[in-house]
Amino acid sequence: MKNVILLTIDALRKDVLGCYGSQGGLTPFIDSLQDNCLKFTRAQASGPYTQASFPGLLTSSYYLEYGKPKGLSPNRTLISEPLKRAGIVTAAFHSNPYLCDYLGWNRGWDVFYDSMEEEVSEQIPYIKGDVINNKVASWLTSHRQGDNLPFFLWLHYMDIHEPYLPERKYIDLVDPSINITHDEMFRLFSEVLLKRGASNKGTVKLLKKLYDAHVREVDGYVKEFFAILEKLDLLPNSVIIITSDHGDEFGEHGGLSHDDKMYSELVDTPLLIYDPARDKGEVCQKLTSNIDIPPTIVRLFGLEPVANFQGCSLLPLEDYPEKGCFGEAIDQRSQRGGDIEKDTYFYRQQDLKVIYRANLDSWEMYNLKADPKELNNIIGTSPEAEELKIKLKPRVRRWLKDNLRGEQK
Amino acid sequence: MTEQNKVKRCAELVAKSKEVVRDTFSRFTPDEMTITWTGGKDSTTTLWIIRQVCLEDNIKLPKVMTIDEYDSFEEIHDFMNKWAKEWKLDLEWCRNDDVVKAAGGKLGGIVKVKDLNERNQAELKRIGFEADSFPFEAESYTGNHLMKTVMFNLYIERHNVKAVFQGLRRDEQTARTQDDYFEKKEAAHLIPEHVRIKPILHFSERDIWDNTMINKIPYCVLYEQGYRSLGAKTTSQIAAPGVPAWEQDLEHTVERAGRRQDKEQMMDRLRKLGYM
Repeated sequence: MKNVILLTIDALRKDVLGCYGSQGGLTPFIDSLQDNCLKFTRAQASGPYTQASFPGLLTSSYYLEYGKPKGLSPNRTLISEPLKRAGIVTAAFHSNPYLCDYLGWNRGWDVFYDSMEEEVSEQIPYIKGDVINNKVASWLTSHRQGDNLPFFLWLHYMDIHEPYLPERKYIDLVDPSINITHDEMFRLFSEVLLKRGASNKGTVKLLKKLYDAHVREVDGYVKEFFAILEKLDLLPNSVIIITSDHGDEFGEHGGLSHDDKMYSELVDTPLLIYDPARDKGEVCQKLTSNIDIPPTIVRLFGLEPVANFQGCSLLPLEDYPEKGCFGEAIDQRSQRGGDIEKDTYFYRQQDLKVIYRANLDSWEMYNLKADPKELNNIIGTSPEAEELKIKLKPRVRRWLKDNLRGEQK
Repeated sequence: MTEQNKVKRCAELVAKSKEVVRDTFSRFTPDEMTITWTGGKDSTTTLWIIRQVCLEDNIKLPKVMTIDEYDSFEEIHDFMNKWAKEWKLDLEWCRNDDVVKAAGGKLGGIVKVKDLNERNQAELKRIGFEADSFPFEAESYTGNHLMKTVMFNLYIERHNVKAVFQGLRRDEQTARTQDDYFEKKEAAHLIPEHVRIKPILHFSERDIWDNTMINKIPYCVLYEQGYRSLGAKTTSQIAAPGVPAWEQDLEHTVERAGRRQDKEQMMDRLRKLGYM
């Protein structure tokens, strides 16, 4: 039986990868894997930021499904839980505080490293990819020396996430003419990015270049990770799923970073399934959601489907159904004390997408084929508008009812 | 690794650290420097290496500062006092007494922000703390800031320090450049400009213990009892009871697992990532 590895990269936009058409040369290593990859071109995140997306990625359920989100609801099933029960060794290595032990994401893992005990600086407020790789390498080495049971490994790199403070060598690979000090970059973070002020086009462009430099850096960590697997002779016997939890915005819809918006720059993700047994690359153009990833992992281990998972296995590809995709979010600022919750939803079917903002009771609709930048709202003119709205409506605000039920208990 | 290889490796690691220390002495005078010391294994190793350089080159050992976060182990105090005397250190203990007083001298005591002095209030404002009060815990986000960061900044301000030695390690295999050992901190609101020097950046936890044993560097008795990482007394936990730190499985377990995870830590991380 093969090992399965889920490699997630925080805030990685789909359109910066060479294998998704970028000319920037930011991901030479990931691009070089394509002959062994099944590539999904229409993969969707189930939410536009970490807390909204990871319930899909690791529990095959939606963000607003179990009342107002605080910690991970006990009603969700983490992918680690059924695997561990089936005798598969499970290990997680990451540095995202939204997925920490304290919030309940440690269930079902034999090894769970969330880095929360480490001291981090203001400038690099997480454990870097090379250190994550080292920890993974140590664990894999000891695992090899032990019982050598099949394992499921999840690792997550934070390095692309703001603050954007790339090292000089990565900036040089993107644009050697940029000459900015660390403190200046940090000021950009605290004075521009944090205030979400994207009015100055030059500044936004500079931020994007710093972001790109981090993408280049992380491509190196992915390369390093593959080298570790190769050295331990684990590569031929592993299937590796590579994806991101969400993208990042650079002024496309008037903002920066990632929040509750549902546009492509945030919810389109790369999704690759690397399998060394594959002899040529394959492309899947079907619409897929990250809620499909946990069922795919279960399938790869040859286990029975998990009833609590709402997605469908992406493999075998011919059995994967044509279906629509949902996404859910709450404005993060209103989560603290605001009495009017600003929740947002999207539903995508083929190339059509509707977005609903509950507090404004407003609908938007875009045709992603004709209008990939999502600038032309066709909700009032599209003959399909009603059909898509009907699909999304049952999901809207049902969490308020769940929340109420929770309180009555 | 054989004993002989260990000795060779440690000699190389120490030689690299000494090079960083000598580089620092070529840029600053001893009076412009300070060594931060917690009594833990990393900062003790750093102090030992700097002292070796000073003995070898006949340079005055820079002054040493330590932060008393109030919630501390007696064993660490005893250890530090003993070696401060033995090594004739110019050691200064720094404690934010204003916060201790406002907490009624009790850990967990509620500190009302309005009871704090102007500087402490300004520091809370700087980090975006908005509530009217907080419980006094040395390793919470606010406690850590007031007891450690603020005392550190005040110390370098008071002594006009330009260069600060720190016992920081970065467990990784990647090659480091000389620049990585020197981190320039530009002046900002309430933060004086200074350079931080990290001579043992390239050591792993295992290297620290190998080197400690080979060179007979003193260490606090708590490590013998199974502590692996020492922080505040109430939040540090024994990693493996009765198993000395250097005999534990350092490679496959987490060094700071003995320290408690709390909500404030998570909030601090989120704030640094740009949330909140």
